[in-house]
Amino acid sequence: MSAVLEVSGLVKHFPIAGQRAVVQAVNGVSFSVARGETVSLVGESGSGKTTVGRCVLGLITPSGGTVHFHGAPIDKRHNIRSKTLRGRLQLVFQEPAESLDPRMRIGHTIAEPLRSLGVSQAERQQRVRETITRVGLRESTLEQYPAELSAGQQQRVGIARAIITEPELIVLDEPTSALDPTARAEIIDLLIRLQQELETAYLFISHDLSTVRYVSHRVAVMYLGMIVELGSAAEIFSHPRHPYSVGLLSSVLLPNPRLKRELTVDLKGEIPSPIDLPKGCFLAGRCPFADERCRAAMPPPDDVGGGHLVHCYHHREALRGREALDYFDQFQSEAEQVLGAGRR
Amino acid sequence: MHPEIAAATRDPAVLSARSDAILAIRGLSVSYPVYGTEAVRAIRELDLSIARGEILGLVGESGSGKTTLARAIMGLLARPGRIDAGSVTFDGRDLRAMPEDALRAIRGKDIAMVIPNPRGELDPLVTVGRQIATVARAHLDIARDKSDELALEMLKAVQIPDPKRRFNAYPHELSGGMAQRVVMAMSLVCSPKFIISDDATSGLDVTVQAQILDLLRNLVRSHQTAMMFITRDIGITAHFCDRVAVIYAGEIVELAPTVRFFENPMHPYSVMLLAAFAHNPRLREKWHKPLASQIRAGTTGCPYAPRCVHVEDQCRGTRPALLELEPGHFVRCLVPVVRPT
Repeated sequence: MSAVLEVSGLVKHFPIAGQRAVVQAVNGVSFSVARGETVSLVGESGSGKTTVGRCVLGLITPSGGTVHFHGAPIDKRHNIRSKTLRGRLQLVFQEPAESLDPRMRIGHTIAEPLRSLGVSQAERQQRVRETITRVGLRESTLEQYPAELSAGQQQRVGIARAIITEPELIVLDEPTSALDPTARAEIIDLLIRLQQELETAYLFISHDLSTVRYVSHRVAVMYLGMIVELGSAAEIFSHPRHPYSVGLLSSVLLPNPRLKRELTVDLKGEIPSPIDLPKGCFLAGRCPFADERCRAAMPPPDDVGGGHLVHCYHHREALRGREALDYFDQFQSEAEQVLGAGRR
Repeated sequence: MHPEIAAATRDPAVLSARSDAILAIRGLSVSYPVYGTEAVRAIRELDLSIARGEILGLVGESGSGKTTLARAIMGLLARPGRIDAGSVTFDGRDLRAMPEDALRAIRGKDIAMVIPNPRGELDPLVTVGRQIATVARAHLDIARDKSDELALEMLKAVQIPDPKRRFNAYPHELSGGMAQRVVMAMSLVCSPKFIISDDATSGLDVTVQAQILDLLRNLVRSHQTAMMFITRDIGITAHFCDRVAVIYAGEIVELAPTVRFFENPMHPYSVMLLAAFAHNPRLREKWHKPLASQIRAGTTGCPYAPRCVHVEDQCRGTRPALLELEPGHFVRCLVPVVRPT
């Protein structure tokens, strides 16, 4: 399986005006995404998810590390804007309304990426019509303006604009966070179907863990610009090992009052400032397992099998005493029973 | 109508006649006039009561009327919205009959509201301790040193680390989670009898949200405060609320004790909403009917009829009543979902 995207040792620091200190947004991130695969970056605000996404597309220049797309580096000259890669990388935004030109008809918006690739008008029209039906909208939508559509429909337009060039990689930055639950579920189903049809690789950035569980093949849990744990979605959700992953997952409230995860790892206090990061493990100040070793240096990654990496000295303790239960899976099967009923 | 359902019919007044109710809404209708055409009916003949010490979750999608209801209770409807009918009784007093200055004395003291975007609620030029103290002084008739003391106590109560130092902090010095705690401290400083939280935790990260919800619940329980918790996230209601009310197009379509609601949701809309959270395409297809246009409240029949998979001819002509189908479990549907027992 050749990687579409290969990120290695990525670092991004942002300068602060008038100060020598920098915001350490991303601190050495490595992962890859294969053809037809969805890798999710999850984490709380300020964890550096979006910055990684922007570095991947070459929208900002990393301070260190490399990003390769099909083996070729993404840099100042080769990025989402350059002629060589235009159309092969795409991006879907969080706020569908704000990412569409309010004065441009939908048909025009969707055709725009093709125009910059020099596709003839006849072919453009043909592909726009194909694409709009592919994302589940009517052809008459092409004549409408963004304000005439619901948020869910607007996001379908955003997706249509991204897939019309048949890209090999799409970065989806919180594509469903601004949507109502029903619209969110529809968009997720659409993204999964499109991936099966087009074999696109997705880099899915989200803080919505139940959606991530459902769409991802692999999950990278980020905390303060680091991937603290990386593994298959099933592994991460049933056996989270990093104390931060455990705390994060147990904070998710699933719509079933009986599925309450006991807090085996209680994360106390506040996230440290990315301007002034602690010397050792970034979680040490909040983690119940932290000791001298954790405070002295960042733990190296530990491969626990099957490509499941954990940056923690104490992950065995974090795992201990907890039944291996994927609450999300449990929730889905219980939902099946309750919601499978019908009318009398 | 099915005979069992007809037999279960009870006066909907039981909803608002609970003796321990701190807030009782009866027959409330709210509309927004639209120039040159019919007014938009945002809330339609709504009955609801909340007991002391109770947390009621109000779940609905955008445009369902959640925020309009909250603002109507507070007497703070955005223009040109107006209350067409109904009453809002708080602690035995009719809020709609009250003059504005009497209302103002209640707002912030007996009824508090917590909204999202905590930074937007705080004055950037005043220290957070002083802001909390100001609320206390405005309502409680106490001296400045006493109100400062109270504010510090509140900062401790919402578990802000190092409260003495934070007392003199400006809002920009606080993280989002801490700013949200300060806003909570502000709304709780006068020990309100009723709190409305309008999507107050939606902007927070999940670990912070978990902390804030724990805190809110403890404060509500210890002070016997009642709370209306408005949210789009049905997952929160499962773990945080005592009862769940689902609002659709300005009507409460289902109201039940939390555990029962999730074990036995009966309104097709509630089930559709739950299916959307379950990430199960087959279930979603079963309960979802794609719809081209927006539906407004105030149609003759059931407002959910155009989207409903259970719809029958009778649903389009008659507006279903909110009926108690099992103890404490109210459903506004002529063709409710039934599960084998």
